Amino acid sequence: MKAAGMLLAAVLLAGAVVSPAFSGPLVDWDPAYFWEAGATPINSSPGGQMYIVGTISAFGGPLAFLNANMPAKEYTFYVHGLTSTGTVPIIPFYVTAYTGGTIDIYEDSTPDAVFDPNPPNVNVPATFTDGTLILTGNMSNFNTQTNTITPHQTGNAEGDITWTGGTLIGLLSNGVGGTCPALFTGGLTWSPDVNIPGYLFRHDGKIDDECPTPTTPSTWGRIKTLYR
Amino acid sequence: MNRLATRAFFVLLLACAVSVPAARAQSLLFDYVGFDYEDPNLNPAMFGAVGDGYRGLGEVGSLFGPLTSDQTNFQYTYYFDGLTATARNTFGPFIVIDYTNTGTLTIYEDSRSSGTAADYGTNPPSAVAPATFTDGTAILVGNLTNFQYVFNTSTNTGSFEADFEAVGGTQIGNFPLNQRKGWTFAGTSGNSVTIPTGYAHQVDGQTFLNPPTLNRTGTWGGIKARYR
Repeated sequence: MKAAGMLLAAVLLAGAVVSPAFSGPLVDWDPAYFWEAGATPINSSPGGQMYIVGTISAFGGPLAFLNANMPAKEYTFYVHGLTSTGTVPIIPFYVTAYTGGTIDIYEDSTPDAVFDPNPPNVNVPATFTDGTLILTGNMSNFNTQTNTITPHQTGNAEGDITWTGGTLIGLLSNGVGGTCPALFTGGLTWSPDVNIPGYLFRHDGKIDDECPTPTTPSTWGRIKTLYR
Repeated sequence: MNRLATRAFFVLLLACAVSVPAARAQSLLFDYVGFDYEDPNLNPAMFGAVGDGYRGLGEVGSLFGPLTSDQTNFQYTYYFDGLTATARNTFGPFIVIDYTNTGTLTIYEDSRSSGTAADYGTNPPSAVAPATFTDGTAILVGNLTNFQYVFNTSTNTGSFEADFEAVGGTQIGNFPLNQRKGWTFAGTSGNSVTIPTGYAHQVDGQTFLNPPTLNRTGTWGGIKARYR
């Protein structure tokens, strides 16, 4: 019996100190579209408001139990409140940093999301913000990077997320009273061949769960006492 | 002889005349998420040093027609290789790396029940990577040309893009002869704690197929009349 207890402790210890295998992004989407009134791919004026809507194609990690491909449900997200600080040219590159921002992720049992042209409109963002708010978070350090040299007109966008609410926020606990940080990242294209009129960028991206592996130095004696 | 040459000339002209690109949108072929690394890595302190080999591997979460897939019973993975950095230019914090040779991107289908699950491991190439990404059936083999990688060393993020042409694999027959070309792009980031040791960046990308080139029916008389 005691041996079994020690074995259990050993297994738990192993679980505590070994990095988990990569289980895919927390959220993966396909696609998302950005819009910002008055902006171009290489110029955003200070104060400009960037918005993003997207349809989620897969979940991983603590959200892996959600099935993004079930016809009866759809998962969408909406980013709003990103305020441009103005584009900084590093010719032929262009970097735009944004302050603020909120990301909301919804589970909707009446799938209806549609990327109608020229947002905002009757369906955008409305069809992306109906349903149950399963996660919401504050964004920070968001930026876009574009250029005038890539033949297919490609760049990238990235920002940090601090989860603050939603019905599933409990699944993103860091184990010490807070939530795990997350990273919003992916590639951008402004190629008209794959874009929709009225949108600035098409984005292929994801959110990574940036929870550090919880490791706490300990002794066999302390671990044994945990299970006695 | 002269008449034969004339006919050959018209055949060539006809070939040019019938390859009229259609004004239709490009279609998403597959979506991929993974990590990249350099091998050989001639200068570990400098990403994209001339002569470095660039490789990537990961999972293909979504495949679209003309590809067919069964994500329930099979795992789909990708591996690209054959790319060697031939030029590296800097623009402030940005680096632009060109790979002028032709690379190969392959998608594999591997049984979830009897195959080997993909394992990134650490410090590729290793016993598990790319081996666990290249087992199974190669369903699509594509050539990558004009591969270009853009990276901002200040934000630690970037993107790559290339032209893509389907040239092989068990499903190559699904692709009409006039619709095998397209392009791929991805966002890359070195900022995630999920990047396994020894990999350079995480990668999230998509590959598109160009619209089919259309054929026009014509007569010899009509063609001759055009060039008189």
